[in-house]
Amino acid sequence: MIFNSWEFAVLFIVITGIFYSIVPQLRKWLLLAGSIVFIGFNHWGYLALAVSTALLTYGSGIWIDKQNDDKTRQRYFTISLIAHLAILVFFKYFGFLEANMSLFIKTIGGNWNSTITNIFLPLGISFYIFQSISYLIEVYWEEQEAEKNLGDFMLYMLFFMKFLSGPIERPGEFLPQIKEKKVFDYDKVSYGLRLIAIGLFKKLIISNLLATVVNDVFSSVQDYSGAQLCIATLVYPIQLYADFSGYTDIAIGGAAILGYRLSPNFNRPFIAQSITDFWRRWHMSLSFWVKDYIYEPIAFKKRNWGIWGISYALMLTFILLGLWHGDSWNFIIYGAIQGAVIIYEMSRSKWCSKWNKYLSGRWFRTYNIIRTYLIFSASLLFFKIEKFADVVYVYNHIFDGIRATYKEMNLGMRDHNIIVLACAIALMFFYEYADSKWDIWGKLEKKPIALRWSVYYLIIFIIFSCGDFGATDFIYLQF
Amino acid sequence: MEIDQILNEINSIFRKVLNNPSINLTTTSTAEDVDEWDSLNNIRLITEVEKHFDVKFKLREIMKLKNVGELCTGVQKKIA
Repeated sequence: MIFNSWEFAVLFIVITGIFYSIVPQLRKWLLLAGSIVFIGFNHWGYLALAVSTALLTYGSGIWIDKQNDDKTRQRYFTISLIAHLAILVFFKYFGFLEANMSLFIKTIGGNWNSTITNIFLPLGISFYIFQSISYLIEVYWEEQEAEKNLGDFMLYMLFFMKFLSGPIERPGEFLPQIKEKKVFDYDKVSYGLRLIAIGLFKKLIISNLLATVVNDVFSSVQDYSGAQLCIATLVYPIQLYADFSGYTDIAIGGAAILGYRLSPNFNRPFIAQSITDFWRRWHMSLSFWVKDYIYEPIAFKKRNWGIWGISYALMLTFILLGLWHGDSWNFIIYGAIQGAVIIYEMSRSKWCSKWNKYLSGRWFRTYNIIRTYLIFSASLLFFKIEKFADVVYVYNHIFDGIRATYKEMNLGMRDHNIIVLACAIALMFFYEYADSKWDIWGKLEKKPIALRWSVYYLIIFIIFSCGDFGATDFIYLQF
Repeated sequence: MEIDQILNEINSIFRKVLNNPSINLTTTSTAEDVDEWDSLNNIRLITEVEKHFDVKFKLREIMKLKNVGELCTGVQKKIA
């Protein structure tokens, strides 16, 4: 059951309707029941694993919190951490590890054939295991008391609006919200509905219209010319952004209707001045997670190595961030490219601050935005394309066929779709710009009701008339 | 050592490491208040503070720091 499906729409409307009709004490139990239905609807195995993991995290938290002696506390924390990582490694990386081990043994002259062909990959596992680890670390660091109420804890782990693809919520942000009394708040509900509309606009118009052509190009790169590969490479970041930020908008909006605040995941990433800046704006709940729980502990441990310690921590952190996405060498390379570019940017930061007054002009800022976008687009090929050889093929042929015609460069899309897409992308970026400068929704709230509802109906009309309602999954569901 | 003196010395370290002579820290300053103070520079700042005062922090102590004032108090406790 995905957010852009009719099953989800029915489930969400039913839950919301009951939510505001029953006594407040029962509301969190309703959300827990709804979450169980939502996860179990996809596969009973997903539900069984998610519930077992949540119980393990709940028990581990109390177990760690009870210890007064530092060494015992550390030992219990390590055991709990290993148990959680073992679940993730078994379900997500076991096949990859075995295949590489088999290849290694063959390389050194041994004989061992990989036997694992397909392990059941539970939906949302990377997200909820990271959430569990976040909780355990916070309890271990004494930043968070272990949650004693099992029902509250299960809702923190399983809440259906964030279960599939995050945002990865920190316990200190989410658990207190479960204990708050939820009352119907018109402003929150209308804010939530607007976010859902924006999310659907991004997903159904921009992401879905681009998905078919981008997927076609990257699934058989040899069949396309250099100009077509170049166009697909340049538009893929926009498709990925529209898809994932669209999902996040729906998640945050849906949660807001039910009285919950979820963490933001994006902050206008395509205006980033550098890749370092980009990762503070892109998939923020994951990038802040790796910063707090991987980068800072490693960099702190290696602080006597000076700049080498920071570089080592950065590279390891981004390789693990890449690997988080999936069990392939391409994801590792994708992460390593981010790490290498950030290390390079760090090494020239002194030079930049020296020349800052010359480098802070409008043209230089525009150049930085374009350069960052191009680096990210090029690195994203490792994220999108499964075969390493195909990525190399794209790099080798991306500038072939400069004299391509418009017919070739439109990747087979109809003119009507190209116009819709161009307008939708421009509108999305303009909306984000305007929203960051002025409180446009706040201003709209003060306008006459006829104008307000005209705008709302216009958005709904645009989504229904231009959206591609083919049930395509959100890209981040695979993680 | 008094907190004000520690704050002054930490301020000089910040100016040197972040290459910005206009930094003026107070006990309530946080990373939000200093442009160049990001997660990359944070480790360099802590390392320089440790070297300067000849103290060692634990990771958990660093993670719990909320502002410059708490860093000063942490240093003061360790050198006492």
